[in-house]
Amino acid sequence: MNKPAAEHDVALMAHLLRRACFGASRDEIEAKAAQGYGPTLEELLDPLGQPEIEEDLMFRLHPFWYQSPALPSHEWVHRMINSPRQLQEKMSLFWHMVFCAGYSKIDVGQELGYMIAMFREHGMGSFRDLLYRLCTNPGMLYYLDNNESHKDTLNENFGRELLELFSMGVGMDEEFNYTEDDVKACARAFTGWNIAPAYPPFPHGRSRWEFRFDPADHDDGEKTFLGETGRWNGDDVLDIICKQPATARFIARHLYSFFVADEPPVPAWRLTAPLDLQLVQAMEQAYFDSGYDITAMLRVLFTSESFKSDAARFVKVKSPAEMVVGTLRLVGDHREIKPGLYEISQKSTYMGMDLMNPPTVEGWHTGREWIDSGTLVERINYASELLGNADLPGVRSLVHRLKSRGPALSPEVFVDGCLDLIGPMTVDAETRLELISHARRGGHLRHGSKSEDAEFTRRAGEMFQMIASTPEFQFE
Amino acid sequence: MSTHFFGLNQRSYNYSHSLGRLEMSGTGFRSPVDFAIDAEGVAYVLNRSYEKRPDGVHVTMMSLEEEYISEFSSYGEAQGQLVWPTSIALDSQGNVYVSDEWLNRITIFDKDGELLGSWGKFGSGDGELDRPAGIAISADGVLFITDSRNHRVQQFSADGRFMGKFGSFGDGPGQFNLPWGIGLDRDGRVFVADWRNDRIQQFTADGQWQASFGQPGSGVGQFNRPNSVCVDEDGDIYVADCFNNRVQVLDPEGRFVTALLGDHRMSRLGKEKLTANPDMIRQRALAYANNPDYEQRFDHPNAVKSDGHGRVCVLDPVRGRIQVYTKTNEPGLAQ
Repeated sequence: MNKPAAEHDVALMAHLLRRACFGASRDEIEAKAAQGYGPTLEELLDPLGQPEIEEDLMFRLHPFWYQSPALPSHEWVHRMINSPRQLQEKMSLFWHMVFCAGYSKIDVGQELGYMIAMFREHGMGSFRDLLYRLCTNPGMLYYLDNNESHKDTLNENFGRELLELFSMGVGMDEEFNYTEDDVKACARAFTGWNIAPAYPPFPHGRSRWEFRFDPADHDDGEKTFLGETGRWNGDDVLDIICKQPATARFIARHLYSFFVADEPPVPAWRLTAPLDLQLVQAMEQAYFDSGYDITAMLRVLFTSESFKSDAARFVKVKSPAEMVVGTLRLVGDHREIKPGLYEISQKSTYMGMDLMNPPTVEGWHTGREWIDSGTLVERINYASELLGNADLPGVRSLVHRLKSRGPALSPEVFVDGCLDLIGPMTVDAETRLELISHARRGGHLRHGSKSEDAEFTRRAGEMFQMIASTPEFQFE
Repeated sequence: MSTHFFGLNQRSYNYSHSLGRLEMSGTGFRSPVDFAIDAEGVAYVLNRSYEKRPDGVHVTMMSLEEEYISEFSSYGEAQGQLVWPTSIALDSQGNVYVSDEWLNRITIFDKDGELLGSWGKFGSGDGELDRPAGIAISADGVLFITDSRNHRVQQFSADGRFMGKFGSFGDGPGQFNLPWGIGLDRDGRVFVADWRNDRIQQFTADGQWQASFGQPGSGVGQFNRPNSVCVDEDGDIYVADCFNNRVQVLDPEGRFVTALLGDHRMSRLGKEKLTANPDMIRQRALAYANNPDYEQRFDHPNAVKSDGHGRVCVLDPVRGRIQVYTKTNEPGLAQ
């Protein structure tokens, strides 16, 4: 049972908002903690109950977002920062990291934008519905060569990735989930699932790609797929896929890895058991009990003790997108549209995550593989630059809160206060002592006079920057 | 055989031609947000472009007969440069006024694009600006500027001296919610595209409210984020009904006349571009056969202007072009 006190615990709320959202300012965390964990979670799970982002204003200030000829990742980053429907936006990132397709091949930014919009709109509903939309998404059909798959010249790429990377995975519990014959049958079922002709980029811009089924190019013959025989079309194949225990396991494990703790890479899943089999099995049960509803699985996940426990906090490496957006939300920058968003969106690329352009269909290597000597420098520089900027409203608020802790803060109170306000987070004992040692050089922090206030703000900003440089800040 | 007329039908609109194509510079436009037409029929097209391609920010000069003339200004904060250009207007001498809603600045060029000066200061006091959006200039040289985040219209002299204001935030008569486009009729009355209230408001030259037209929606006389309004020599009102992908024509009393939806046929510059790209000719031919409407219709039209001589021109920003219509009071067959 959850302890009653946890319902309004600031640290637990901060944990929920880091994982289910893209982080939050301290003011937002405390407001949600006062509201309670349960009601806040239910709000997150019901995005349509929350206000929409102000799309009209987005399109007014960035008219090219109507139909971006270039990669619209900055539009997406704006949504991540500002959408009131935070879990919905987080789920669009989740699905983008599972259903990988990239600009490097598709070469039409707006199609990636439409794909992400589809994840946004349907990513918390029925998995069967989502999978159908994925299989009729022109960008994905093109990315996986299904436009080159015909009833007389089969291209198995789409069928193979649908099974291996988008729904079932190669295996579970040390068994294989499907055979090469199943791959072929799957690919045959999707012949004729193609794309209508679209306008070229010039002279007046590309038209939106549209799915088109061509019955004359569809292999209507009998197929045996996962033990069932019939004249299956793609629709039938999706029905068969969705009722497989392997599919429930695959989705549950992905959700666990994204929201709770880093699992080993997907290719290892056949031979390695889930980190938390009990929770994964509870999510599998929710998948079947709800008729493949993703929100039902998320409710099980976020109400589990595994998720809420202290042991789950600050153990997942922030993805570059989470680092970029989470820091902005903490410091309160780009909360309204202003120039500079494109450069902000590129920060994630510099940290190793080129949004809308994953390296392969297998996606990014996550967890500790986000960090290398180059990306670590990018991450630290980025976060410390923002956290050291006392002109930003979120930083100003942190300084104000710090001042409210007393007229004169000892170095220990100062350091612990900064850690609390940025997280709340803890650092290892040695790191904490280093921070305190640095703070001692300036003595107690006082405020009141103009010069004391200026020095207080300077030292607070400097301490925030140092915390942003700790190993612990790389985790969420 | 009898003929049945319904609604107002004393005038009709025939598509004439289009100008421009999608380009970062030169013979086309990139995310254009507004344009103005001078007495010689030269269009000054204001290109906002996007952050990744700041080289697309400038003003293009092109005749309504689709002859490219020149371009001026560029991205930046220095004098004569633009960050978020929003609207453009010409005075009676042909000088060019451009509003920038990020810099809160009005920049003035001569008719050839030489910088003459600039003014503007951020704030909410008299004469201060918070995201200036639309500009209209009266015959006697008074600038009417929609001061969008202050939800008002301000009047200035050409050199930036504050002369008056009207409006406040709200949805009542004479109030605004992020007003954008603004136009004047031949008698000096002021028409404002009250963007987030989805309506057009009409005022006297000194700011007295006279009428409101429209309400939110997609039906006749309804608007979805109207962002530009102009009035022709007969007093007919044209509204770029952006999110409804159309231009609505209202009579001087605000009654619905007709809607223009876009009738584009390939412009000369468009043909030149295709001719140089045989693969695109093939791709376009297949796409046109599948969906001709795509190429013809407006996509979020964001500015409409009358040239004062019976032509109505619509800026079609996503497609990088202007579609030109001719107005006739006599029955005239469309081409």
